[in-house]
Amino acid sequence: MAEVEKPNIIDVDIHERADTHDLLPHLDPKFRHYIEQAGWVPDRALPFAQLTVGGLDRADAKTPDGRPGGSDLGLMREQLLDEYDHEYGILTGWLNAGALHPGWSEFKTALMSAYNDWQIENWLDKEDRLVGSININPHDPQGAVREIERLASHPKMVQVMMYIGPSESAYGEPQYHPIYEAAERHGLVVSIHHSENSPTALGFHRYFIEWHTAVPQVFMSEAISLIFNGVFDKYPDLTVILVEGGFSYVPHLMWRADQQYRELYAEVPWVKRLPSDIIRAHMRFATQPVEEFTAEQFDQIVDQMGSDELICFSTDYPHWDFDSPLESLPADLSDDLKRKIFSENARKVYQRLPAPQAATT
Amino acid sequence: MKAVVCAADELAKGHMRPAKLGPFPIVVVRTPDGSLFALLDKCLHQGGPLSRGRLGATSAGSEDVDDYRFERSGEILRCPWHGYEYDVRDGHLLADPSRHLGTFTAREEDGNIIVER
Repeated sequence: MAEVEKPNIIDVDIHERADTHDLLPHLDPKFRHYIEQAGWVPDRALPFAQLTVGGLDRADAKTPDGRPGGSDLGLMREQLLDEYDHEYGILTGWLNAGALHPGWSEFKTALMSAYNDWQIENWLDKEDRLVGSININPHDPQGAVREIERLASHPKMVQVMMYIGPSESAYGEPQYHPIYEAAERHGLVVSIHHSENSPTALGFHRYFIEWHTAVPQVFMSEAISLIFNGVFDKYPDLTVILVEGGFSYVPHLMWRADQQYRELYAEVPWVKRLPSDIIRAHMRFATQPVEEFTAEQFDQIVDQMGSDELICFSTDYPHWDFDSPLESLPADLSDDLKRKIFSENARKVYQRLPAPQAATT
Repeated sequence: MKAVVCAADELAKGHMRPAKLGPFPIVVVRTPDGSLFALLDKCLHQGGPLSRGRLGATSAGSEDVDDYRFERSGEILRCPWHGYEYDVRDGHLLADPSRHLGTFTAREEDGNIIVER
C-alpha cells in the first residue's frame, strides 16, 4: 500500500498515566496514608460503562501486563512518537484536581505537586520530544499559583493544565483570575481539558452516546465565561486552548456571542471587543475528537472562524477516541493549512516550546 | 496473489489473527460455525488495526428503550479504537451498510489456512 507522507507534528494532547501509588514518593507525607491505607482514588461521576473494546483506552494501547494506556513510555514511543515522527508532544496528564469534586482542596493541591514531580521524573526527564503541563488544583487558586511559581522555571513546562469537572463555577469567574495572571506572567498557555466528570448543559444524560455527543457544550460555557468575565481584557497576553472538544462548534459560538454582545454589551462593559475577535486573538482549539469531514466542509469551518490559526492538532493518545495524524483530517486539505494545523499554529502560541526540531524522516 | 496464514488447527472457532497478503494487512476470522473470512486489517475510519479489536456480538435491533439483546456472537469485528463494528461475512459497517471494508478469500488448503485475491 502507498506510503503516506508524514506531517511535522506538535501534538497538544497526550496522556501519561500514573497509578496513585506511584505518587507516594512525591506526596507530602501527611497525606500519604489517605492513599496507602484509606485507598483514596479519584472520584468518577460518569455513570456509564463505555461500549468500547478497551474502555477508556485504545485496546491496543494497554500494556502486555494489563496496565492502562499511557503507563509505559516505551509503548508510547512505539505507537505514537516514533510511529508518527512527532516533533513534540505535550503531556496533558491523567490526574487533575479540576476534574474532581472541589472539596478537600488542600489534599488535591498537594496531589498536584506530587503528580507534577512524578511527571518530570518519569516522562520529561526521559524523552526529549515530550514537554509538560503544570497540573494545578484550580479550586484552590492560591495553591495553584504557588504550584505555577514552583515549576514555572522548569524548561519543559509549556502550559498550565485545568480539567473541567463537577464544579458549577465556570473558569472565567474572578476567583480563578490569579491563575491567569501567573500563567501570563510566565508565558504559559492555559489548557482547559474535558474529563469524565465534565457535565453537559443537562448533566450526564441517560446514555453515554448522548453525553459524548454533547461534549462541546461545556467548552462553549467555559469560553463564554472567560470572554464575558473579562479574562482576556485583563490579561492581554494570555492564550487559552480548549482541549478534547473538537472545533466544529466554534463558528456558531462566535456568531452567537457576537450577536449577544451587540445586544447586551452594557452588562459587561469591561469587555472591549467583539467575542469573535477575542477568540481569534486569545483562544485555540485542539482538533480531537474530530468528526469525519470532507475537505470542502473542513475549509468552510475554517473560513467561518475567520482565521486558519485557531486549530491545533491533537491525538488524545492513548484514549479510545484517539485521532490518527495520518487519517483523521481530510487528506486533500491544502499543504499550507495542514502545516498550520499540525505544527505551526501550536508553535506560535506555545512560546516556551524549545526551538524547532528537524523531522526524522 | 496468495499467502499461507497458518496451519488450519492454529485458528480456533471464534478467534482471529493478523496476516499479510502482499502489501495488505489482513485479519483472518474463523466464526463459531467454522467458516473462514478475511478482511483488510485497517478500519475505514482512521486505520485502526482491527485484529487488535474484539470479535464478538452486536446488539440486536429493538423497538423499545432498555430492550437489550445481543446476537451474532463471533461474527462482528469491533475496532480497538473508536469501536466501528463490521460484519465479518461481507465487511459491511453495521452503522452504515453502504460502507464496506475490503474482503479477501480465506479457505483451507492442504492443512493450512490461505488467503488470496
